[in-house]
Amino acid sequence: MKALVVSQRLSDAGELVAVARRFGEPAILAFQESALKVEEVAAYGHRVYRVRSDRPEALYRAAASLYESLNPKVIVGPSVKNVKDAMALLAGSLDIPLITEVVELSDGGSVLTYKRGFMSERVTMTAEVPYPAIALLNPKIVKPAEKAGRGEVVDFDVGDLKVNVVGVRAKELSGVKLEEAEVVVGVGRGFKSREDLNLAFELAKILGAQVGGTRPIATDFKWLPEDAWIGISGKRIAPKLYIAVGVSGAPQHMSGVSGSKVIVAVNKDKSAPIFIQADYGVVADLYKFLPILTSKLREKLPRRA
Amino acid sequence: MGRDIAVLVKASLNPEVVRQGAEGAYDIDYTPLKISDVDRNALEEAARLKSILGGRVYSITVLTWGPSKARDKDLKLAVQEALAKVADEAYVVVDDSIIPGDPIVTSNVIVGVLKSRGLKPALILAGEASVDESTSQVPGRVAAKLGYSYVGYVRRILEVRENSVVVERDVEEYVETLEAPLPAVLSVTQEINEPRPPTLIQIRMASKKPLHVLSLAGIGLNVKPKRLIKEMRVVTVFRKQVVLEEANLEKAAEKLIEYLDKEGVLRI
Ligand SMILES: Cc1cc2nc3c(=O)[nH]c(=O)nc-3n(C[C@H](O)[C@H](O)[C@H](O)COP(=O)(O)OP(=O)(O)OC[C@H]3O[C@@H](n4cnc5c(N)ncnc54)[C@H](O)[C@@H]3O)c2cc1C
Repeated sequence: MKALVVSQRLSDAGELVAVARRFGEPAILAFQESALKVEEVAAYGHRVYRVRSDRPEALYRAAASLYESLNPKVIVGPSVKNVKDAMALLAGSLDIPLITEVVELSDGGSVLTYKRGFMSERVTMTAEVPYPAIALLNPKIVKPAEKAGRGEVVDFDVGDLKVNVVGVRAKELSGVKLEEAEVVVGVGRGFKSREDLNLAFELAKILGAQVGGTRPIATDFKWLPEDAWIGISGKRIAPKLYIAVGVSGAPQHMSGVSGSKVIVAVNKDKSAPIFIQADYGVVADLYKFLPILTSKLREKLPRRA
Repeated sequence: MGRDIAVLVKASLNPEVVRQGAEGAYDIDYTPLKISDVDRNALEEAARLKSILGGRVYSITVLTWGPSKARDKDLKLAVQEALAKVADEAYVVVDDSIIPGDPIVTSNVIVGVLKSRGLKPALILAGEASVDESTSQVPGRVAAKLGYSYVGYVRRILEVRENSVVVERDVEEYVETLEAPLPAVLSVTQEINEPRPPTLIQIRMASKKPLHVLSLAGIGLNVKPKRLIKEMRVVTVFRKQVVLEEANLEKAAEKLIEYLDKEGVLRI
């Protein structure tokens, strides 16, 4: 066995299989959504091992046991929290390399060569690690593999786990696809209350924009749903226009907006780091400036008023 | 099992300070180290839990980036913060043979410190990610090596019981409430608390607390990094950096609209 794929979702399976096939015939370990819809995962034509649990610990145990029996050279998976936690346990128990958020991966003979972001993605690092190794990939870095045939499905029992689930609560999500929006208004802690975000929503309406924000706006204040947080640990956006209001420009936020064509910053602090990362900056109090900007745009863009 | 808390504290490269050296290469020597932001949340949480558990708190730091001589001041500053904030003692491993480090080295060294000193913490706290590499794997590795239970991305520690800890864990679309048996390793997110900077008195007290600087030989360990860094390049995104600093905000708005219109990003 050359490669083991850990698939969490149907949407990751094709890309992971494509990368795994570079190393030889893979087997697939299906987890969470991929375990529920295992037939679709089996349609890639490789043997599928199914774990019927959504615990990282269960995934860890299944992967550890498959590692022993199949002896893969690489394990590939998606860079998501459950898989990261499971693979950190596996990598620790075996003392083998684990690389995450990988954007390029290739077989360098006796080593695995890869590229990933570093320093909040302001730097790219190319490095190599010896085999065997675990590589968790970023989405959309390769074309998904073609489906071919039907792999055998084998169930996997992992026994009792150490960590017990007491409860699960779904997050309130907006369902808005910020990553597909052409114009985005981003709000930061420069806003003093939830009601004040209306200033941003009004601007967004005129521009036909979606509203997103920095992590604390979504998580600490809960003024926006959690799928509206932009940055290294949230959404990556690539609009034509991104207008950041009351956002300081922390590297963890800015890495999520680096794909924007034009970045505008409104901040009252002239020395805020966002100004050197923006195309157009306005040094102003957002409470004074946004109403003016919105009304001027309303004159210019009457069809949206 | 003891009642102690160990906090993993990294002196990370500061991602706010990135400079391009020759031919687009990242000038790593120019970037200072600072305490990794989320580790402050781990320290704050340790301060809250210390009285509940009733044991000692120690911080463990492994120097990843060198050369060690040039990093000494930044490293001490990060460790002093841990001591000022909550730690009774700090363990720092500095050894040029493991620089630049990797997660295999870091986790082995952390475990080496604990084992060689006979330390058996009930809880090991760490940040969810370091601000330089952000691979979120050292806490899980340490848990696997020690046979501790592990929960990553903890947003809230709800209760510490006699033999377990009840926590909320953040996953992408949901939040789980989990009970993990002690001893446990937890990585915490920045939502878990609002870290307060240490007070002047705490800072003064910190200089009197024991700071153990150890070498690899000092903990009886022999490991080598497995990662070989081939290249580091600064990602350059050109931004125009036009700044409008107008007393008259009407004018500022008009100018901004004109610029955006020219860029063709307003659908007029
Ligand atoms: C591991 C890790 C992951 C992270 N992931 C993310 C992420 O994915 N996304 C993210 O956003 N953050 C992330 N962060 C947090 C990040 O480091 C910053 O803390 C956060 O982005 C800051 O948000 P902010 O700009 O809203 O707030 P602040 O940094 O507090 O900035 C507020 C700004 O508003 C300005 N302001 C105040 N009042 C006004 C006014 N009246 N008018 C105009 N301007 C005003 C201030 O001058 C200031 O610049 C992460 C951090 C870590 C450690």
